[in-house]
Amino acid sequence: MSNQDPAGALFKQVLIRGSILIAAIALIGGLVGYLVAAAAGLTSALIGAALALVFVSLTALSVAIGGRLPLGAFFGIVLGGWILKLVGFVLVIGMLKGADFINGPVLFFTLVASILGTLAIDSVAVLKARLPLGRD
Amino acid sequence: MDVTNIAELTGNLAVVGYGLAAVGPGVGVGLVVSKTIESIARQPELAAKLQVTMWLGIAFTEALALIGLATPFIFA
Repeated sequence: MSNQDPAGALFKQVLIRGSILIAAIALIGGLVGYLVAAAAGLTSALIGAALALVFVSLTALSVAIGGRLPLGAFFGIVLGGWILKLVGFVLVIGMLKGADFINGPVLFFTLVASILGTLAIDSVAVLKARLPLGRD
Repeated sequence: MDVTNIAELTGNLAVVGYGLAAVGPGVGVGLVVSKTIESIARQPELAAKLQVTMWLGIAFTEALALIGLATPFIFA
């Protein structure tokens, strides 16, 4: 861990570990999905894992980038990013819903497993982190 | 006596569910951010630590929003 930017190192660690976990969930979900619903199951698991990776990583990135800026900009980036992300998520869900190449339950459970898994990684990383009290 | 329908609601009830899925996390994130601002105002030297803790709070409430908004895939 770098001594120069402990918060940056924390977010880097969280993003790398989260990506590895989501890749593993995509692999297992893809296999189970393929057994349950053939090609549609495989596609759904990969899309679910990719959605979770993008939307969970964007939160960490927004805090990591915003943390280097003044306080007002920090809240603007984190909260503005949150709203844009959720609107984007609703649009993606609207487009995917009812598509032929999607198996709903496989996509949903892959997404939920990925989100819960990354939450666990985030929590452990923050609890173990040694952050300085001062701000640069 | 005949029953007269004086008011009728039509549409998909799931839409109300999506709304509720947005309201809960919205209130949650609002509380997390307001308390973080309050805490930073009280102790500005803790800002970096509070920002990271705030991210964890936002991540949890966001998970609720994402799960809630993805429910059409299983309840449709």
